Amino acid sequence: MRYSSLRNTHVVDLTHHIAGPYATRLLAEVGADVIKVEPPWGESARKAGPHRPGNSNGDHSNDDRGGRFAFLNTNKLGVTLNLKHQRGVELLMRMLDGADLLIENFAPGTMERLGLASEDLLKRFPKLSVVSISNFGADGPDRDARLNDLTLFARGGWTYPVGEPDREPLTPPGSLAQYIGGLFGAIAAMQAMLARDLTLGHGQHVDVALLEAAALTMIYEPVGFQYSGVVRERAGKRFAIGPFMIVTLKCQDGYAGVQCVTDKQFENLCELMGKPDLIIDPRFNTALQRYVNNDALLAIVEEFFLQHDRKWLHREGQARAIPLVGIPNVAELLEWEQLTSRKYFETIEDPVLGRIQIPGAPLRMGSHRPEPSRPAPRLGEHNREIFCGRLGLSDRELTDLKAAGAI
Amino acid sequence: MKTIVEGKLRAIDLSMGWAGPLLGELLAEMGVEVIKIEDTLHFDWWRGSLSMGPPELQVIERSAPFNTANRGKIGATLDLTNPRGIEIVKRLVATADILIENYSPDVMPKLGLAWETLAPLNPRLVMISMPSFGSEGPERNARGYGNTIEAVAGVTGLVGYHDGGQPYTLSNALGDPSAGLNGLFAVLVGLREREDSGRGQHIELAQVEAVVPYVGEAILEYQLTGQVPKPRGNRHPTHAPHGIYRAGSGYVALAADSDEQWRLLANMLGIDALAKDARFKSASDRKRNEDALDAELSGALKDLGAEETSRKLIDAGLIAGQVNSAADVLGDAQLSARGFYVPIERAVVGTHLYPGVAEHFSETPLIADRPAPLLGEHNRKVFGEILGMSDAEIEALERDRIIGTLPRQFATPKAA
Repeated sequence: MRYSSLRNTHVVDLTHHIAGPYATRLLAEVGADVIKVEPPWGESARKAGPHRPGNSNGDHSNDDRGGRFAFLNTNKLGVTLNLKHQRGVELLMRMLDGADLLIENFAPGTMERLGLASEDLLKRFPKLSVVSISNFGADGPDRDARLNDLTLFARGGWTYPVGEPDREPLTPPGSLAQYIGGLFGAIAAMQAMLARDLTLGHGQHVDVALLEAAALTMIYEPVGFQYSGVVRERAGKRFAIGPFMIVTLKCQDGYAGVQCVTDKQFENLCELMGKPDLIIDPRFNTALQRYVNNDALLAIVEEFFLQHDRKWLHREGQARAIPLVGIPNVAELLEWEQLTSRKYFETIEDPVLGRIQIPGAPLRMGSHRPEPSRPAPRLGEHNREIFCGRLGLSDRELTDLKAAGAI
Repeated sequence: MKTIVEGKLRAIDLSMGWAGPLLGELLAEMGVEVIKIEDTLHFDWWRGSLSMGPPELQVIERSAPFNTANRGKIGATLDLTNPRGIEIVKRLVATADILIENYSPDVMPKLGLAWETLAPLNPRLVMISMPSFGSEGPERNARGYGNTIEAVAGVTGLVGYHDGGQPYTLSNALGDPSAGLNGLFAVLVGLREREDSGRGQHIELAQVEAVVPYVGEAILEYQLTGQVPKPRGNRHPTHAPHGIYRAGSGYVALAADSDEQWRLLANMLGIDALAKDARFKSASDRKRNEDALDAELSGALKDLGAEETSRKLIDAGLIAGQVNSAADVLGDAQLSARGFYVPIERAVVGTHLYPGVAEHFSETPLIADRPAPLLGEHNRKVFGEILGMSDAEIEALERDRIIGTLPRQFATPKAA
């Protein structure tokens, strides 16, 4: 869905892959005017899957987009510019005149090489802020090192405590780190505009680092370690071994997750299991005892879960105010009544992929109703609209620029 | 240097746990004056349980997560079950720009603090509610914490070893930071809209809906291919190696995303012969023989040191990193060089390193080096300086235990 809260915000989007496009997706979803600038051959994520099988005999190299691009670029306008071409840079400068934000996630140093150093841009366009999203940040010994989600989460502290104690740790799924980095990018963009309007009177540069975003969203165990001297180790199906039970357990038709943290939740769990005697059992009657006798308690809960299915556990657990849920796969997630009744998923008519459902806006602005999202732009779809309509180029100039390889 | 808002905005933070408090903390980093209100009986549950130690130990001031998620806030207490307490909340809200709450949907109306009640007191108020599942829908009253929200949003079902077995919950209560960060974004959007419209608004952020976008690509994979994605463990769908391997007493994460990177990796690990092995020549060969490849790499890495090996591979231009524990991450070379962890002295616990910021502003740095408040630490400031109450009024509130600096369980009523 698309809100109009940021209708007076103009964003020039030089991002590619995941983190940057997710940042600008969030801004576009709340109404910012986001112009996505791609090289004439398209940004790298256009080629990424998922694809429909059978298309072009499995060869997707000529496809305009795959699923990732379709999801990450809704509500944006798309133009092409060759930034290695002088006339491409000139057009970019005209687009920046009046823009609030330039967002990029090139490797550090790239913008300078293109003649687009942020200091120069900020001088030329006082209203503009430049948000740079990179793996490690603009400085430090690993600034230019390579990185992916696997190593990002490994270094950021997320991976170490997940998995079986006697096996290798398990990384978070998909490209989660990129999404969280993108979220920080969108926040930085809003903060830079707020600083401009409230405090500075002009824009500034923001350096957003994915590694720091990962370390910042890790639960605060590096602090806890300093307080207690204890490092949380992998505890298998348990989140951790502690005076609580946060655990993922097998049940009749899959798995369920439960968080039993307070005394009341423990009592309710005992009632749910039909074992109220456990509430006063000296092995479990205080949080401390439940910590000491965690294995014994887990064995009882495990056996109980095995006798029920996810739906029953979810319903009956929640009826007793226990945070207990069945674990869905993504197909089941799409059908979950809580989300469908809230019309959370949005159906898009994508010009290439056809009808697809994508996750909707996580926020609901109370001030107005949202409109349906626009699908991600085709490569160069809005060249004429932006270059002729907004910047006033003639058809002839547009043709010349194309011939010169600038767009 | 200036902060982003230079104290020109005020937020009232009624939230507990991580999601809402994180949002408040991030606002405090921007120079927003954030007033955290706690009930002295039902104080922020992330302070921990009083049963964990005797009163003189002040256990609820020794919670690392609370002390991190509430940095830079002004701390006040109020009895929210008492109408006088609620009246004071309303007086504070009338002076504020932002109100944060992450209760279940029914709680604020029950307290007499529904949006419809508050909006007339302050038309410019931006209020954010962050219920677990949303204020509508059949599960509006269902209970969810960070890990259950992550599970029900489809993430946990994708976490597991490549060779089968059960799903695992992630390590960081993912629902909480996701909601806190999306909540901050939402508040900033609300403030910008207010600049145009002159009016505040009520924003709802269902925590589960902030997590589902992370599985957006998996949702599309299912729709476009008809296959339900399964956990991939540490592996990648198209290239190999891509895994985590024991190295001495630690683990190294590494990946090679091209034939060239693979040859370089084999060279750095002294196993050049493997790069010429027909089983591992192209990406599709390596993917097809990934079990054998992982076994070879495990053998090559098992006696090496995790930290030195990671460093050697990174410096050679490979994708690699040590799997950092909570202790290791404090010494990470890049985080240290950027000064990520910042020392903060706080009453009761002393000086420790706390996580800093992921956004570096050229002119208005975020401020993450102020301690979290003690329970009711700033009662005098909030009720005296901000609301203009007299000492006698504040003392009356203390006497009637509407406010306090000790958990109500411990505070003995003073003689009237």
